[in-house]
Amino acid sequence: CEKVIDLYPQSNLNTGTYYSTVDEVRAGLTGAYNGMQAPLATEWQLTELRSDNSKQGVPASSSSTNRDLSDLDMFLPATIHTGIYTYWLTTYNNIRNANIVLQRLGVVYDPSAGTLSLQNIDIAISDTDRKQLAGEALFIRSHHYFNLVRLFGGVFLVHTPISAQEAKSINRSSPVDMYKLIEADLKTATTYLSPAKFAQITGANIGRANQWAAKALLGKVYLTLNRKAEAATLLQDVVSNSGYGLQASYASVFSISNEMNSEILFTVRHKAGGLGLGSSFGNSFAALNSGSTIINGSGQGLNTPTTDLNALFNANPKDARKATNIATFGTGTAARLYVPKYLSPVVLSNDGESDWPVIRFADVLLLLAEAQGFTPESIALINLVRARAGLTALPSTVNSVATFEQALAEERRLELAFENHRFFDLLRYNTTLTTIKAVDVLKDHFAAEYASHYAQYPAPILTLPQLQANVTADKLLLPIPQREIDTNPSLTIAQNTGY
Amino acid sequence: QDRKVSGKVTDQKGDAMPGVNVASKGTTRGTSTNAEGMFELSGLSDDATLVFSFIGYKPVEISVGSKSALDVVMDEENQNLNEVVVVGYGTQKKGDITGAVVKYKNESLDEAPVARIDQALQGKIAGVQIQNTSSEAGSDPKIRIRGVGSVNAGANPLVVVDGHPVADGLAFVNTADVESVEVLKDAASAAIYGSRGASGVILITTKSGKSEKTKYNVKYSQGVKSAYSRYDILSTSAYVERLFDEAAIRATDPAITAANNTVISADRAAYILEKEIIGGETDWQSQALRTANVRNVQLNVSGGTRDTRYYISGGYQNDQGIMYHSEYEKFNVQTKLNMNLGKRVKLNINLSPSFIKRERPGIEFNDFARWRSFHPVYLNETSAAFVRQNPLYADVQAGDYAQARYFANRTYSGLMPDGSTWSSGTSVVDPFATSNQQPKSVLESRNYATNDYRVLSSGDLTINLLPGLDFKTLASAYVNVTNGLDYTKRNSARAGDVNRGVYNNNLFVDLLSENTLNYTRDFNKHSFGVLAGYTAQVTTISQARTTGLDYPSDNITTLNTALSIDRENTYTTKNKIGLLSYLGRVNYSYSGKYLLAASFRVDGSSYFAPGNKWGYFPSASVGWIVSEESFMKSVNWLTTLKLRGSYGVTGNNRIVDFAFVDLLYNANYPLGAGTGTVASGQVPSKEILSNANITWERTFQYNGGLDVALFRNAVSFALDVYQSQTDQLLLRQATQAFTGVPQTWNNIGSLQNRGIEFELTTNNVRRSNFEWRTSANISRNTNKILALGSESQLLNQGERTELYLNQVGGPLVQFMGYKTDGVWLSQNQIAESKLTSALSNVFVPGGLKLVDINNDGKLDINDRTVIGNPYPDFIWGLTNNFKVKGFDLSFMLQGSQGGQVINGDPNYNEIKRTNANFNTTDKWLSPLNPGNGKTPYYTSGFNWMLTDYVVEDASYQSLREVIVGYTLPKQLLKRMRMGSVRFYANAQNLLFLTAKGYRGLNPEAASSSGVYNTPLVDGYQRGSYPINKSFRLGVDVSF
Repeated sequence: CEKVIDLYPQSNLNTGTYYSTVDEVRAGLTGAYNGMQAPLATEWQLTELRSDNSKQGVPASSSSTNRDLSDLDMFLPATIHTGIYTYWLTTYNNIRNANIVLQRLGVVYDPSAGTLSLQNIDIAISDTDRKQLAGEALFIRSHHYFNLVRLFGGVFLVHTPISAQEAKSINRSSPVDMYKLIEADLKTATTYLSPAKFAQITGANIGRANQWAAKALLGKVYLTLNRKAEAATLLQDVVSNSGYGLQASYASVFSISNEMNSEILFTVRHKAGGLGLGSSFGNSFAALNSGSTIINGSGQGLNTPTTDLNALFNANPKDARKATNIATFGTGTAARLYVPKYLSPVVLSNDGESDWPVIRFADVLLLLAEAQGFTPESIALINLVRARAGLTALPSTVNSVATFEQALAEERRLELAFENHRFFDLLRYNTTLTTIKAVDVLKDHFAAEYASHYAQYPAPILTLPQLQANVTADKLLLPIPQREIDTNPSLTIAQNTGY
Repeated sequence: QDRKVSGKVTDQKGDAMPGVNVASKGTTRGTSTNAEGMFELSGLSDDATLVFSFIGYKPVEISVGSKSALDVVMDEENQNLNEVVVVGYGTQKKGDITGAVVKYKNESLDEAPVARIDQALQGKIAGVQIQNTSSEAGSDPKIRIRGVGSVNAGANPLVVVDGHPVADGLAFVNTADVESVEVLKDAASAAIYGSRGASGVILITTKSGKSEKTKYNVKYSQGVKSAYSRYDILSTSAYVERLFDEAAIRATDPAITAANNTVISADRAAYILEKEIIGGETDWQSQALRTANVRNVQLNVSGGTRDTRYYISGGYQNDQGIMYHSEYEKFNVQTKLNMNLGKRVKLNINLSPSFIKRERPGIEFNDFARWRSFHPVYLNETSAAFVRQNPLYADVQAGDYAQARYFANRTYSGLMPDGSTWSSGTSVVDPFATSNQQPKSVLESRNYATNDYRVLSSGDLTINLLPGLDFKTLASAYVNVTNGLDYTKRNSARAGDVNRGVYNNNLFVDLLSENTLNYTRDFNKHSFGVLAGYTAQVTTISQARTTGLDYPSDNITTLNTALSIDRENTYTTKNKIGLLSYLGRVNYSYSGKYLLAASFRVDGSSYFAPGNKWGYFPSASVGWIVSEESFMKSVNWLTTLKLRGSYGVTGNNRIVDFAFVDLLYNANYPLGAGTGTVASGQVPSKEILSNANITWERTFQYNGGLDVALFRNAVSFALDVYQSQTDQLLLRQATQAFTGVPQTWNNIGSLQNRGIEFELTTNNVRRSNFEWRTSANISRNTNKILALGSESQLLNQGERTELYLNQVGGPLVQFMGYKTDGVWLSQNQIAESKLTSALSNVFVPGGLKLVDINNDGKLDINDRTVIGNPYPDFIWGLTNNFKVKGFDLSFMLQGSQGGQVINGDPNYNEIKRTNANFNTTDKWLSPLNPGNGKTPYYTSGFNWMLTDYVVEDASYQSLREVIVGYTLPKQLLKRMRMGSVRFYANAQNLLFLTAKGYRGLNPEAASSSGVYNTPLVDGYQRGSYPINKSFRLGVDVSF
């Protein structure tokens, strides 16, 4: 009789019994790689759109999608902004996936000491495997937290899978504590992960986080914390010893027939073909009202390049990077800018092949230059990147800290356009550089686009001073989603200043 | 041939009965008694038989013979007490019932102007709220018995069809085959259904044959349906003209800068398109809506001998929705056999297959209402020529669907409403910036059809073991095979979209075994009934989906031609759910006056983890029929007085399968060289966290009731009051998203429902040639959260970020947001208020003015407050039936008073602009022209969705149904050799009055999907279908 009610799911595995062998833990880790795709869908809204690189494409649009984007772009996001919440949720969802893997592998974080340790586990696994899997999960977790802390400031530090009840007693951590975890994760990852050089990485290991990706990311973390010496050491190690290097042509870095090339230290991979693993950016970024001219299923004209960035590319007609980053739909006065960088032919809308690079070699070169400051070595690093883009070396007028910083920032902006770096770069320049201040850059950006874009909104239109007044140091941080505060009545959770 | 008879008619108490119908059988001669109960009838033949009839009394037939004086005593039928009522696992006399059970006999339900039985019941039973949340053909209405008894996703009542609990019973039961509908409202009567009874139980009993000559019945009806009302949408030119008028007014106000007083080029270009290039306005709502046809054919044969009785029926119903491609077709067959196999054994067999074909529109009505009028449906020669000027569209032809992109990225010049000429110069304009295809082409390029094949088959055998002791064993199977194809043609939603066919094949098999022992014994004045039983129910649900992509032609849609398979949307799943139960019930009555009943059920369910599987559900109830007491016999006006009281425990287990474990889902990832090879990945659910301790939700309910009949049943009423408390609420609770998952399952807190229900029937006139009966019901339910575990409140966000509050001490759901006090009139007024705020867009002249609730000088989240709730104060129905000779008329008024909705339409800025309900002429234009000071300028200020500006009164009063009929006289039928012939006409929603300030099309509509589809998020609507208005004619013949 009891058989009638003694039933278990027949179509799904469950956490009660799964993750008990190496292969099962590995499947969990694969799930965490998959989970890196979801936050990307909104990441550009919080980074590129809020920088001087892009804007939503249709000022007169009344669609709520475009209005929401405008709010972000104009530094007016409500605390209930859907895009912010979606990014937050999908990021934390994948942190959970990584935490499950780490928990099964017995990797425990001690928040007060800021250290990780290995506990005994009952899974039969070799030490190498255990460390490799753990290192990859740590890389994924730190990648997410690094983004969160830069976008939101101190967030909720979750380092193990938690229940809804446990969450009620967790309040926000300080940025210092966040960076403590990020540093511990990445430092540990650099020791756990395989030291194989680019050419030695083969088979299914291609695409996984490796030691060089972890070092590069940690270098960036150090640089963000203005620990330039530590950053330089790590980045130099990557440049000299990783086996990674620049591709001959800029376009081939992003070509779908040249995936996982020598420049890609880490990328979030996508795969077309109705597998549910495709990239949506081809459709999201292609020009609005373009029918099937650019891509099947039409474009939506989101993440539209600013005229300012376009002008910067046009300033040097030899710059080979323009074609990859900015294309036009229509001709003459009807020409309309869009981002073709992630465009690959699709059968099904939002099912593109293009990967989304997270760290690539050119980025590392420029970060190293930033860490070293105004030195001939740094100029040489920038020139490496310029040469590949078909440009001549920096002119001799780059002869001071100020001109160097300008040249470096401009090079990064062009080289890494639409890869979600610009906003984070601006934030970092506040500390690493002396002559560039994020708030000023953004105010100038509003001025540059005002007549052609912001003045075209339906009434009431903000005047330029009103618009510029929105950009304050406080507003560089996003609001914590209101839902997180509302859902916990037992703790007082502080909202970021200015919201 | 000329006999005369006179006499007096009295009731059992000896009182004279006026108005009794006296007829000579087989002739047209007849009369009725006068005020003293006297009658006189002449012209009778020698063998005349007189028939005395009076509603509520047993008819009396007396052959006159040689008598000339005839005194007659009539007995009360006492239908109030002797009527048989179906209850869980058996039947009872109405007089013996001690719980709150309502029986609704199918007298004219099948003539109601609706397609489904649940819709036909709307407004007819006190305490049962039936809400047509969508006007789509064949869609499920929302049914709540005594309010929301549960907080989890399953607050629908349990539906039991001929003894078999069937989740979707109301969807396929054929109204014409229904004998009666019983609703078990209180916990005492529902407790016998244990873990599934908490939201009430609806018992459907289908018709059976009787021991009589074979009878044939044919019914046919046909009619039309259309939208009761539509949105008042401004055409593009009317809208732009209004913009120009407004700009002229605003220009006179120095507070409005020139930069803020321009009509944007997109609107100017749209105006030129409508006026000069297209030369006409498209009414997009008409492109969605139609006058729909409805048809219903029913045939049945019934009859039998004493030992074998049969009822066989067939029906076909075709119900078109008012939106194109909304269609519902139903074929039903029912075969029922009741046999006596010898003296001690009875066998019943019931087989009812049905086939439902349903087509749904592939796009929402709202998408039509939002589309702009300058945009034509098809291109004509002129507009095609215009479009072809853009080399991108050089090959478009007249007759092609027009698309927004054809008019985009172009320069425009032409006349403006103010007579000026405008040109966009060299800059290009998008009159309508969207990447979506226009709605009509989307509607026509998607075919979304499902077929439901259902069979409910059961057999039961009753063996009389000893005198009074019966053993009954029932085996029944409910099988539902659903297959559907959702086929989208090439270029459907967006240009370049590949064609796609999604094949769904679902199999639902529910097997039930039920074994009961029933013992009844009467001795002296004692009467006993004992029931004991054991049931087991196993449900297997298998789903298969295959999605084909890239078909070479839209004409061949079978999978064999598809170029590829969408792996993500191709899968099968299978799950099994089990329920094991023991049940028992005792009924005792003494002297037919004192009644006692108790029941008990034990349920074991696979929904819960080991250790939490079993639940216990007892109930007890008492009754006292006061009118049977000897001291009441002398109270002539009181026919029946019965008092009832009950207490019971019911449960609710309807959560998702296996909420006690975290299920894993595929999350694969490409690794390796080139474009990678897909590696298998697994992650837990992204939507909900499990809870290993999840267990039963239990509802404890008290019910007190009163049944009264007065003046020989001229007036009867029932009054019930109840209070229930639901504990361990199964809650799909919002969690903080940093857990990684936005919701979790939980059992917390408790919820109280209290209510009062009143049902009244009056026989206002009961003469032989004129009858008038009124039935009315009204009910009120209030609910209150008593506890929410350790918390005082929960907040849930809806799909447009509007907020729902669940707060201890308050009703289950309240709308939460900012109160507004009109609009900010000017910058000065803002400055004078001295308010500060970090919220976005709060201080904009012409925008909504938020109220600083806590008076701290700061507008922030602490100023959010309760701004409404979705619960009506009361719901009511009123039916009047008239019969004059062969004619009859019934009409039902029905309504709901006091509930509110959040109208989500203004979330769409297109609607804010062109829907005249939102873009009114008395809106704020400038500080000097503030309109009524209440209506915001539509692009200005704070998000409406977070304020009380979108909270609207959902009260309504409707003339829900009208039925007019004519039954041919018996004499004529006799000559025609027919049993009965009846013609009727019916209408639905001839009148539907909504509250002032309601700006939508259907106050009953509700739309929330996905994670927002929880009882904690209630009362939200957007883009609702219009209400249906229908009219049909029918004929009903039996012979």
